[in-house]
Amino acid sequence: MSWDNELLERAHKIIELYPQKRSALGPLLYLAQEKDGFISDDSIVEISNLVDITEVQVKSVSSFYSMYKEEQTGTYLLSVCKSISCEINDSRSVINSVKEFTGLENYETDQDKLFTFEEVECIGACGGAPAVQVNYETVEGLTPEKTIEMCEWLKNDKPEIIVADQLQNKFGGTKSFDWAIEDNTGSAYTVPGFQNIGTAKEKDN
Amino acid sequence: MSDQININVNGSEIRTDSDQLIIEACEDSGIHIPRFCWHKRMDPVGMCRMCLVEIETPRGKALVPSCTTKVSEDLVVDTESEVVKKAQEGVLEFLLINHPLDCPVCDKAGECPLQDQTMAYGPGESRFVEDKRHFEKPIPISEIILLDRERCILCARCTRFSDEISGDPLIEFIQRGNKTQVNTFPDEPFRSYFSGNTVQICPVGALTSTSYRFKARPWDLKKVSSTSNCSSMGCSVELNVSQNKMLRILGEDNEFTNQGWLSDKGRYNFEYLHSEKRILKPVLNNDSTNEISINESMELISNEISVDDNSNISFIVGHNSTNEEYYALNNFVENLNKVNNDQNMNVYLSDDYLYEGFFQNTDSLGKVQDLDSVDTIILWAQDIKDNLPTLYLRIRQAVKNGKKLVIFGHTNTAMKELADSYFGQEILSKNLEFNVEISKIPNFNELINDKNVLAIIGKSSPIQNTNPISNLINYLDKNSNLKILNCFSKGNTFGALQNIDLVKGLNEFINEFDSSKNNIVFTIGSNPVNSSIYSNQIKDKLINANFVVSLDLFKNETTELADIILPTTSFGEKEGTFTNLEMRTLKQNKILPTPGSVLNEWEYWSMMLNKIDIENNYESEFELNLQLCEEYLDKDNVPSFDNLNKPSNLDGVLNSKSINIEIENVEPGTLELLFVNRLYGDSSTQINSPSISMLGAERFIEMNNHTFIKHNLSTYTVNLVQGDSTLQVKIKINNHLPNELIIAPLNRRGFRDIDTTKPYELIEVKNLEELSVN
Ligand code: SF4
Ligand code: FES
Ligand code: FES
Repeated sequence: MSWDNELLERAHKIIELYPQKRSALGPLLYLAQEKDGFISDDSIVEISNLVDITEVQVKSVSSFYSMYKEEQTGTYLLSVCKSISCEINDSRSVINSVKEFTGLENYETDQDKLFTFEEVECIGACGGAPAVQVNYETVEGLTPEKTIEMCEWLKNDKPEIIVADQLQNKFGGTKSFDWAIEDNTGSAYTVPGFQNIGTAKEKDN
Repeated sequence: MSDQININVNGSEIRTDSDQLIIEACEDSGIHIPRFCWHKRMDPVGMCRMCLVEIETPRGKALVPSCTTKVSEDLVVDTESEVVKKAQEGVLEFLLINHPLDCPVCDKAGECPLQDQTMAYGPGESRFVEDKRHFEKPIPISEIILLDRERCILCARCTRFSDEISGDPLIEFIQRGNKTQVNTFPDEPFRSYFSGNTVQICPVGALTSTSYRFKARPWDLKKVSSTSNCSSMGCSVELNVSQNKMLRILGEDNEFTNQGWLSDKGRYNFEYLHSEKRILKPVLNNDSTNEISINESMELISNEISVDDNSNISFIVGHNSTNEEYYALNNFVENLNKVNNDQNMNVYLSDDYLYEGFFQNTDSLGKVQDLDSVDTIILWAQDIKDNLPTLYLRIRQAVKNGKKLVIFGHTNTAMKELADSYFGQEILSKNLEFNVEISKIPNFNELINDKNVLAIIGKSSPIQNTNPISNLINYLDKNSNLKILNCFSKGNTFGALQNIDLVKGLNEFINEFDSSKNNIVFTIGSNPVNSSIYSNQIKDKLINANFVVSLDLFKNETTELADIILPTTSFGEKEGTFTNLEMRTLKQNKILPTPGSVLNEWEYWSMMLNKIDIENNYESEFELNLQLCEEYLDKDNVPSFDNLNKPSNLDGVLNSKSINIEIENVEPGTLELLFVNRLYGDSSTQINSPSISMLGAERFIEMNNHTFIKHNLSTYTVNLVQGDSTLQVKIKINNHLPNELIIAPLNRRGFRDIDTTKPYELIEVKNLEELSVN
């Protein structure tokens, strides 16, 4: 058993939300990712037992979606948008600044397991292009300089919880609209912060 | 029946069922639409787009996949328009982008739908100049199946089969886009009883089997349709032979039985035919150097049986003879009886699961197809998945289509998930007797009262009182509209029952064996010294017998005790008929030459009669078949060779004969262990078929968690100790089992020494020294 009781309890609560066990697969994969920073084979075995499908069926789903990571990520996942709106607003230089700062190519993780860098398709923040996500928390209206500042801040301060608002205030520029929910909490690892499955973490004060 | 409607295909009117897909309606009218992913026994998915056709819609013509579009009244379909052709070319060009085109070294070449359809509908050339995607070439995904992901066209036939049909989805699509591939989970191989079907339905050479890889080219194969001996389902198969060697068995789509599918045992259990270990000449005293001629052997045997003293002649027959051979044996016994009143002759079927069954009322005999029309299926029998694997698939299908399934334990735990009601330890005791009155079983009456019910009924365990089964059948008969499928699972059991006047069981053999008499025993294609719960007692009797003759393919534990071994023909080497569990008689055909100086069983009977100057009235299978056909109840549709060879009867002929079984009820005492048969075991045919010989090697017992704790166990490898015998076994936890009942596979090596009614101990294996104990 690779999952401890606390995690199992969270898993059972999630399963109860659905009429069929297997429907809980998506959220459970996030729990697995929260645990290890990627979807480990051990977690797949665990999930397959929890929702009564075979391991390979779990693997089929987890390997299909790019937000379920197959390899260990760093503490901070930097997802830089490369789609059309951001491209027009010079995301290329934002991408280059991240590459330069971290020394990473697409989908690479550094040796200290601090950063993972990836270029992603549209993250739904076109109005504030170019946009970046840090552990799935969005910042809009970035410049190359601000991006490097942000990376430095992550590297030096090593914040435990990333909150979109905070990122936006510190490093962001034009914002598309105020899309965050009122009591927006943050995310603590390379997994989106969802309040209903408990991956959202309280704001770091 | 659904309504008939008209549609127009390529300018001509077609009448079709209103709930058919375009591709099916066209197929039925002889218009072939190319396809890769669609398979008539599986749900459509529309993966490959090869089946695109043009239909007229209110908004003009549209290209649609004909495998996911249903017909509708006055639908206009074009399967050959320029647009369709262009679409087909496009689809094929795309499919070939990443396909390695290694046809010269591919097993599928010559019967490959991708190859054939590219020839027929493809563009002729490719515009793709980039690098193809590469994968490691073939990876084993189980002991018997290999996967070449480069060849795969992602039609999802294999993955759908394993999910939809066989219910063990151990292969799936992994990854996405260009990287998509079929694969297994690491350390979780594609160990399915049905994995070979995926090789047969894969439309390219991506899935191959270890047994057939690089063995032959399809155009070199000689083919004949036949019927499998693997179980009493009588699956329709195609035997593929090249240079007088059986190389492959394929499933044939028989609507009434297997619907195209086979178990891996039915598919791969044939390599033994060409094993070097086969007996090819009569052998004296189990001494290989002591081979004798057939004539000598007949001489010796006839001397023994013609002695006019009050001797006992016993025949223990197995399940792999043809109806004609059983009939010839019966005829032999009859004739011998006529000339010699002093001799006492009995025929025993080598099957611990035999009991009287329910045959009296032929009207209430059910058919496999009834699964699709009844309301409720009642199952109380041996493990269906292991013993009648293709029947298991049919039951799965029926349940998927909404039929209610009721299972009485404690076998068939593998099907518990499928069942609406599973009656385990609350209802049935460890000894398989009712704990509650049948009428008071919760949630039972509403499933059967005034409903159409098919009861699949047989003994769950060799040692079982059958009264509870009879009580259940009586109850069902009173309260429902009942059909019965007698569930004897092995090979041609029903052929033996139909063609031998009186069949007894092995317990009768032991009861009736009188050592004060002159005992002559014939064992015919049976190995009771290895395969029965009475093995040890039978062994003693055979040692005690005055003369033992074994007709068999291989030397085994029984032939060891024989004075003479007569080599016989096997499946594929003989022609005859086979009766399945619904009394459907099907044809078995010969495609292999007879090896060595091997004869058919009936030839031996006939020669023996000649030797003792009794005239026999047949000279071939054909004549035997004509004679045995005379006894069928329905005279108008007998399963004669001629009749069965008619195209309209290729799926077999349903017809009954009176059946006469005499067997004493077995008193269970207290069952400590429940013996079951697993699909793979240690039969001589399996261990002499290298591809599957190891699949039955693992020795394990099953118990629930409660029992595991109760026995104070902490490891999963233990020694099963009973008296002097010690057997090292693995423990598998199966929580569907009742408390303190342990299940053990009878057909695995070593288990025949265990007595199910005696106490035993489970002792943990603590150190390596003990581990090496066998
Ligand atoms: S392996 Fe064969 S059957 Fe399976 S998806 Fe690929 S092409 Fe289809
Ligand atoms: S294109 Fe970058 S957020 Fe939409
Ligand atoms: S056969 Fe219709 S899409 Fe494959």
